[in-house]
This record gives sequence, C-alpha cells and structure tokens, in this order.
Amino acid sequence: MKPARVMLVDDTPSRSALLEQALLDQGLIVVCRLESAQGLIKNVEVHQPDIIIMDLESPDRDTLENMTVLNQHNPKPVIMFSDEEDSKIISQAVQAGVSAYIVDGLNPHRVKPILDVAIARFREYQALRKELKQTRDQLADRKIIDKAKGLLMKTKGLDEEQAYHTMRKMAMDQSKPLADIAQNILSVMELLIP
Amino acid sequence: MNGAEVERRALKLGYMPLSDCLPLLVAQQEGFFEKEGLEVELLQEVSWSNIRDKVIVGHLDGAHMLAPMILASSIGLGGLKKSLITAFSLGLNGNALTVSNTLHSELFELNSREFDQASNMKRLIEQRKAKGLPALVFATVYPYSCHNLQLRYWLASVGIDPDKDIELVILPPSQMVDHLKLQHIDGFLAGAPWNSVAILQGHGHCLLTGVDIWQDAPEKVLGVTLEWAEKNPNTHHALIRALYNACAWLEDNAALALPLLEQHLSLNSPLIDQECLIPAITGDYIFDNNQLQSKAPGILIFNRFMANFPWLSHGQLICSQMKRWHWLPQDIDSEALVASCYRPDIYRQAFSALGSKNIILPRDNFNQQHLALL
Repeated sequence: MKPARVMLVDDTPSRSALLEQALLDQGLIVVCRLESAQGLIKNVEVHQPDIIIMDLESPDRDTLENMTVLNQHNPKPVIMFSDEEDSKIISQAVQAGVSAYIVDGLNPHRVKPILDVAIARFREYQALRKELKQTRDQLADRKIIDKAKGLLMKTKGLDEEQAYHTMRKMAMDQSKPLADIAQNILSVMELLIP
Repeated sequence: MNGAEVERRALKLGYMPLSDCLPLLVAQQEGFFEKEGLEVELLQEVSWSNIRDKVIVGHLDGAHMLAPMILASSIGLGGLKKSLITAFSLGLNGNALTVSNTLHSELFELNSREFDQASNMKRLIEQRKAKGLPALVFATVYPYSCHNLQLRYWLASVGIDPDKDIELVILPPSQMVDHLKLQHIDGFLAGAPWNSVAILQGHGHCLLTGVDIWQDAPEKVLGVTLEWAEKNPNTHHALIRALYNACAWLEDNAALALPLLEQHLSLNSPLIDQECLIPAITGDYIFDNNQLQSKAPGILIFNRFMANFPWLSHGQLICSQMKRWHWLPQDIDSEALVASCYRPDIYRQAFSALGSKNIILPRDNFNQQHLALL
C-alpha cells in the first residue's frame, strides 16, 4: 500500500511544522504546506494529495469546499471527511480546530490515523500556547507588583516587607488578585504624583 | 416570557459578519432573547463551512445559515450529512452583482442604454472567446448558496453556460474587494455590505441587485439540526419569537442599528465603516461611486412581506436550481426533501400559543409566485 499523500493548509507555520514532522514520522508523505488559500485549487491539482488537512478557523475553507461540487474543471471530488459511524472523531476534530478533506475517495480507515495525529498535534499546540500565555502573564504580573511595591516604599516610607504586606492585605480584604491591587495602586499614584 | 418553559436557557448561536446577521445582534442588544427567557451567546465565525460543522456536531445550538446549505447538508452533499431544518427566514434579498471598473466600461462600450447588462455580457464573452482571451472570472461566497444560484440563473437567462463560458470561484466575502482590486476576479455576487465597500472605494460598479434577478428571494435562515429541534421545541419557539421581534424592530429602526452592526462587522475587517453599511440597510443605494445614490427599496428586507415565513415554495425554488446544475440527483423527490428541511409548522406553533394579533400568518405554506421564475 502506497503511503497517503497529505497536504496541509494552516496560517500558523509553527503548528503545521509540528504536524508535518509527526506525519513524516508515521511514514506519510506531506506533499505541500500552504499558509493561505492563494493558489489552493491549483496546488491540489499539481500535488495530487489524497487528503487535505486544514485549519478549521481558516476563512479559506469555503474556497476549498467548492471542490466538493463536481464539474468538468474538477474531475476529482474533494469530500469533507465524514465517517457517519464515528461522529465522535468529527466532533473532536472540530473541537481541536481541524478539518479534513478526502480527495477521490481515500478509504476512511486510512484517514482516521492521520486525523488522530492532526487532532493530537493541534491540541498540543493549543496547550503550548496556553502555557506560554500563562508564563507571560505571570511575568507581567511580577513586574507590576514590583513597581507598585517600589512606589509604596518611596511615597509611604515603608520597607519592602511592609509594602508587600500592605498590598497582600488589600488583596485579601477586597478578594482580588494581587496584580489587580498593584495595578490600582499604580493608576492612583500616577494620577496623584505627576 | 410568552410560551411554555424553555428546555434550554443558555444558547450558542453562530453568525457570519454580514449585514443580514442583524436580527441576531438586535435580538441580543434590544433584549428580545431575554424576554423569551433565553441567554444567548453570539459567536462570530469565519466560514460557512464552520457554521455548518459546528451546528452539526452540536457546538452551536443554531446559526445564521445559507438557505441552500440546509438542503445540501441534509442529503450530505460535499461530506458531513445531518438533517438540518429551518423554521425561520432571517429576511429576503440583500445580494448584488459588482463588476470591476474594466469590465464595466467594456460592457457599456457595447451598449450603454440597456439596464440589465446580461445580453451585453454574452456578447462580450463571445468576443473574448473569439480573440482567444481567458474566460471572465466571477466569485460567489459558497457553492451551495443563493448567491451562486442567482448568478447562474442570470447568466443562463441569456444562454451563458456558467460551467463552461466563465470561471466561477468561491471566496470569503471579506476578500472579494481585494481580489477585485487586484484583478484576480472580474466580478462578484455577494451580500451586503461587500458590494458597497467595493463601490465606495472605487474598485467596482454594481451592475444589478439580487432583486433584479429573483424578487423577494430567500437568503439567510435560522438553521438548527432536526435532532436539536425535536429535543428543544419550546426553546426553538422562543428563539423564533425573539428573532421575529428583532426583525419587526429592524423594519422601523434599521438605521439605529448601524453602530451595532459596525461594531460587529469591523471586528475582523478593517475595510468596514458605517458609510459602507448604510446603502443596503437604508435602501439609499449607491451603484457607482461617481453617481448620486438611487432608491433601491427592498434591497434587504427584514420583516415585511412575510419575510420571516419559511415558505415551502422557497425551498422548492432552491431545490429546482440545485437540480438544474446537477448538484442533486435528477430522480430526487424534491417535495419530500423540502418538506423535511423547511418547517412552516414549527413557525406556526411558535405563534399559536399566544394568540399573537400582530403576526400575520399566511393561509398556505406555499406561494406559487415564488416559482414563477422557473
């Protein structure tokens, strides 16, 4: 059995690189990686993929779906992957942000493993992004807290520990995150002290 | 709250950023959903394919949908197959055909007196073919859409074969203007506000509106799965009443909704401002950037002329055209397919419980006039 030829369409290059590697590791052929639908239909004709994996949030999906309409320009129908026996995988794919199109009737049994890999990689990427955002937010919070602490020390003549405790107490009394309190202090102080 | 207790209060509804999504935005802002006991979250989507898929897998309870999409998905055209239904039409009309400045001047050189340029288009296409020039490229927004069907109907009315004599492509509405400007396409048939954006920026001329092709045409509908509708009948009724009230409100107050529309449509499109939203919403239409506005009443109808009724005859019209272009098998039972997708019975039930004096219900579910075009 010849390995399936996969085409990737995703405007996030780091994610599609991740997916490409995973598919190559499975012995599949990635014929083409596109970042936009520019020349999408032509690329399908040139590269003859068996399956197209596309970012669900790409507005270019509707362009590709035109290939599901059979006409003389388009002798090979492109069909949205839909295994009616297993609608769970479609729901998972939508949740992860993956859509898959089969060209010229590739057997669904061969599609599933590819789709599984895509779903896993998209999820992994989502998790990475979330983690990165958390780390960034935490760093930003630390900076704000340090700045507010410094301002309190300077204006109120407090030492570092006293300044920190003052903010901690305010946060607890108002049941707000420490970073919010620090931001409030900064805003008010900046208003009062030109 | 008017009717029986709703089965689900919290709903997620999807929409595409187009002028005819207004009933959903207004129902939210003016509290019509809330009055029916619904807490609705509106989610903006980037493609019609996404709207369909998310409704089918249940990530959305319902959505702003293309009427032909309901029929296509119910028989699994293109892939995902699931019974979708509509019991509420979000309005009538809204589309227009805009061509590039080049194509416009070529057509008018042939004959400037004709209002409907279809026969000029045919002559131009024949001349281009004789000269060995590439085929004209036209874009619409989705294969199974009234846009695509209207453009094909108009071209075929003068004997242009849309599958042979021109090239038909699909582009997201928000990319139409750029592709027209870059001369990748010679024209497009899309909904508001994209024609006005192209015209006001000086990249195209409106050749005719959808009303000139199909008068009082079906366009967007509220689409849900049959499964969802069977599980949540009272919620469905409440949703229909809320949207009906929003549409009725829009009939008198559409101009007031311009800021709301701008806010949602400009989220992902820097080209959108209030100016380009005005023509379709108010009917003071601008066909050409050098010309003054002309009245184009009924270019986008939200409520009057029983615009919200899910006419079986609208389903039949769409079905007949999908058959015409061989998208549906020739032996398909159109009546049965339409009856399974278009549900005027649910629309009627939504208003039956409350003796609604203000809502005019037609006697029949079928309006023969809709098929006069065939």
